[in-house]
Amino acid sequence: MKAQLAMKTMCLLIAASCLGACTGQRVSVRATAPTPVSASAPPAPIGAIPPTPLAPDAAPNAEGGAATAAALTPQDAPSMRTYDPWERLNRGTYRFNARFDEAIFFPVADTYKRVLPEPVRDGVHNFFGNLAEVDSIINYALQGRLGLGARSLGRFALNSTIGIAGIFDVAARLNLPRTPTGFGTTLAKWGMHPGPFLVIPLLGPSTLREGFGLLADYGTSYAIDTGGLYRSTDKSWVIGGANAVDQRANVDFRYYATGSAFEYETIRFLYMHKKLLEDEGLHADEPREQPVPGEPAGK
Amino acid sequence: MMTRRLSRVACVLLLLANASAFGAGTALPTAPGPARGLADSAALRATIFGVPPDQMATIPANVPLDEINIRLHGAQRVPDVFWFDRRLRVWFSPQEKAAPLAIVISGTGSDGNTGKLATLRGALYGAGYHVLTLPSPTFPGFIVAASSTGVAGDLMQDGRDLHNAVAQLVAGLPGAPQITDVDVIGYSLGGANAAILKAIDNGPDSLHIRRVVMINPPVSLFNSIGRLDKLFAISIGDGDAGIERLYQKLYAQLANLYRASDAVEIDENFIYAAAAAVLKTDAEYSAAIALTFRIALINMFFAGDLYAGTGVVVNPQHPPKVGDSLEETMRILRGKPFSEYFDKVFAPYYLKHKPGSTRASLIAENSLDIIGPTLRSNPDYYVQTNSDDLILDEPELDWLKQTLGTRIAVYDHGGHLGNLGERRQIADMLDMLAGRWTGAPR
Repeated sequence: MKAQLAMKTMCLLIAASCLGACTGQRVSVRATAPTPVSASAPPAPIGAIPPTPLAPDAAPNAEGGAATAAALTPQDAPSMRTYDPWERLNRGTYRFNARFDEAIFFPVADTYKRVLPEPVRDGVHNFFGNLAEVDSIINYALQGRLGLGARSLGRFALNSTIGIAGIFDVAARLNLPRTPTGFGTTLAKWGMHPGPFLVIPLLGPSTLREGFGLLADYGTSYAIDTGGLYRSTDKSWVIGGANAVDQRANVDFRYYATGSAFEYETIRFLYMHKKLLEDEGLHADEPREQPVPGEPAGK
Repeated sequence: MMTRRLSRVACVLLLLANASAFGAGTALPTAPGPARGLADSAALRATIFGVPPDQMATIPANVPLDEINIRLHGAQRVPDVFWFDRRLRVWFSPQEKAAPLAIVISGTGSDGNTGKLATLRGALYGAGYHVLTLPSPTFPGFIVAASSTGVAGDLMQDGRDLHNAVAQLVAGLPGAPQITDVDVIGYSLGGANAAILKAIDNGPDSLHIRRVVMINPPVSLFNSIGRLDKLFAISIGDGDAGIERLYQKLYAQLANLYRASDAVEIDENFIYAAAAAVLKTDAEYSAAIALTFRIALINMFFAGDLYAGTGVVVNPQHPPKVGDSLEETMRILRGKPFSEYFDKVFAPYYLKHKPGSTRASLIAENSLDIIGPTLRSNPDYYVQTNSDDLILDEPELDWLKQTLGTRIAVYDHGGHLGNLGERRQIADMLDMLAGRWTGAPR
């Protein structure tokens, strides 16, 4: 099971960090992986990336060409406040995650990026991305988004064979880009609200719905046991560890890089409102509930 | 990993999160001139969208980068809520041989690894410099780890804190690189910080700074920020209602764009495209620019109030502890303009700690004019600015031209930092640092 794998991985990482961490020094120096300037920088100027044209008459989000409901007006926007009844616990977890990431997770991932050449890391990333296509196929089917499900199925078939067990993302070169989904999105499609904000240990910001979805995704992976990778004790340690490091190495985020005492509030706002906007897309062809004025977003 | 892509999505949403309204007028004089300074529509657009890819200077594809976290001597106690800011975080790109060191200082409220710093780092490293990039003295991580007062925004005090930090950093750079000369570059407020750094670099811990290049610096700090406050008031409006209106409008726009698009999730590509679709008019450009500047103020205000014990949003007797919710504090701060920071935190603190000073003298001291004679006579200070920079007005641009003489490059277009990284800007900057700048147009 992915969750077990993740925990095993963390145990390994904690042990490694206890040997290597040097938190008491006055000065610490971390040589970060040489990266292209554009990749190490925060978002490039908007003009630097030719954006995909967005216009109200563009192809509808709900695949299949379903007609969209009436356009949202400002009165349809949720409150800027976020529903967070477990705030104290969440803050403690966020702080733990930040310390863990700074002491262990980020240094390990950074070392991984420095030691392994990019093509190798790409292969690892593609491999795990391909494994995750199984979840995507199932969840797109559950969501009734058959076009996207067929795309994931095609990607899995192509990459598992021609792409040599997913190491090469052949499908992307054939204009079939990766579009992962999970059970959290399935629940959203079925009409479940995000629920309260939730910070998950080691994984970070989420909501109750997304957290439940994550557990279901882990369970699905364990039940299907693709390639026998999830139930074998020996393999699961290696796979879980590599998956965790690969994920961290591909996330451009540092806890408290903002230096701000309000980082928790900011991240909470960003996460919840990103989810709400994505939910708007999932229900683009359906009538929409009017938010209760002043009610925290997510409630 | 649930935090995936959040930093990218922040491009648009962070503006919303930090949207703030203006309070009542205060004793800080209203900034002179139009709210958007010298900027026209093209300048506002350039300020937001930056340099088109085909006009960017060529910089190395890979630059080595060491992250340095240093606990400085002489720093203040660290309040509980800033437990994560005990060490100053800077970034160093070493050459493998003896080389000059370029110290680069970030703009208002920014950290030591911004996109603009990455561009300058690449250009300078490619030109053979060791490069050390630093956050602004107004960045909360600097205020907590390196400020001796906790009340940021005073040019001379920030300069002294910066000098103290740089001296300790340079003395302990990893690998003890061979440094032949030290030059300093800064953009926006960092430009003014860079000039002050050289001007006060004459004590026993002198860094022997050779040359300084200021990129789009302010002349009067408070005039520039006051102008941005005014820009915000005009483009967004007053009070919480203004914030809510802006937020609701942008949320509906983003949601409609997302519903109409074929994007499966809100990722960076969608955000880039959405930003281009949402930001179209001068009013929208103005709102985005003013908001970006205001983001810094919330953190600076909070830290200043906490350290100075001025009690505006932080009870000095019961400061917030780790784990306390700061939502309400942040919401209150969102409603406070820079003038209120000046009146209720900055001025009370410095009037108490600078005997004989007045509010007028505090304002006057936060201008490049305080080192005017040095800027006029010393040939090692340079400026790059634009004739349509929104943080300047005509008299201020004239002052820069008259003070720097042939040591200023004034470009026709670019707004505020909108041409940073453009081929000519980078080439001129390198010429200035090398002492090759002749002032002649190319």
